[in-house]
Amino acid sequence: MTQRYYEDVNIGDETEPLERVPTTDMAIDFFGRDNPTNPAFSDIEAGKRLGVGGALVPGLLKLSWLTQYVSDWAGPGAAVRNLRAAYRRPDVADRPLVMAGHVVDKRIEDDKPIVELEVVTLADGQPSTRASVQVQLPSRG
Amino acid sequence: MSVPEQSLITDEHRAHVGRKSDPLTVVIKEEDARRMRDVLGDTDPRYADGTGIAPPYVVAGMGGGPRRGMPQVLPGGLLTQQEWKFTRPFKIGEELQAVSQVYDIRDRLGGRYGYSVLVTQGTDYYDAKGEHVASAMITITQFDPKSQRKGDE
Repeated sequence: MTQRYYEDVNIGDETEPLERVPTTDMAIDFFGRDNPTNPAFSDIEAGKRLGVGGALVPGLLKLSWLTQYVSDWAGPGAAVRNLRAAYRRPDVADRPLVMAGHVVDKRIEDDKPIVELEVVTLADGQPSTRASVQVQLPSRG
Repeated sequence: MSVPEQSLITDEHRAHVGRKSDPLTVVIKEEDARRMRDVLGDTDPRYADGTGIAPPYVVAGMGGGPRRGMPQVLPGGLLTQQEWKFTRPFKIGEELQAVSQVYDIRDRLGGRYGYSVLVTQGTDYYDAKGEHVASAMITITQFDPKSQRKGDE
């Protein structure tokens, strides 16, 4: 994991795309098998009744992946401060999701160096989740 | 269900807006953090066993979360928006107080269901000193699955 510094990041910088394949087992294990979750996360028919077309990928799983994605991009001395996501289309289990993103702003906020990224999950090349993420990076100064 | 002639949001539903829940104690457990890290494939050494720090996304599985006490207007629901804020890292084993409230509830016309209801609810987590640690906010789009447009399945 490489450390990024505020001074080295530029608006427009792109993050390396990363593919993940969410499964129904992941959806259940993520929340714990003893914890109640939406039946549509593991039951294809329940997902179809919601109009999803298969088992539904939990939004919380996708947002957690995006948190990890940005955290890994930023490095161990950084801290994710805020994520705001819009789930534009439901995702179906066992179909690949690609995470991608780019830097849209950098600023000093309350004396803290903040970088803002827009990140997405792409399903078949189309965004299914769009998120704005603010991460505090260390400064070389 | 066709589009109703008037809002299905009642005064009883609206009465939830702005009303804070009683605090609920939640504990950040090592096994939960480990399980979630394993599912995500997260090998970040900051959150490894023994560090005493949990990854931020453990908020996804914390009890007392934003859906607690959410008014149910329509039978189906999909998470459509979400926000997490972190004031500081989560510590393994610490007890937090979760306080939730509904921020907004409104009708929506159009879209794949014709009529739906958007409910926005949030939870703030405070530590033993009463200091803010994190917050989680969600918007659920509630709908009647039977009203979905043909071709959207």
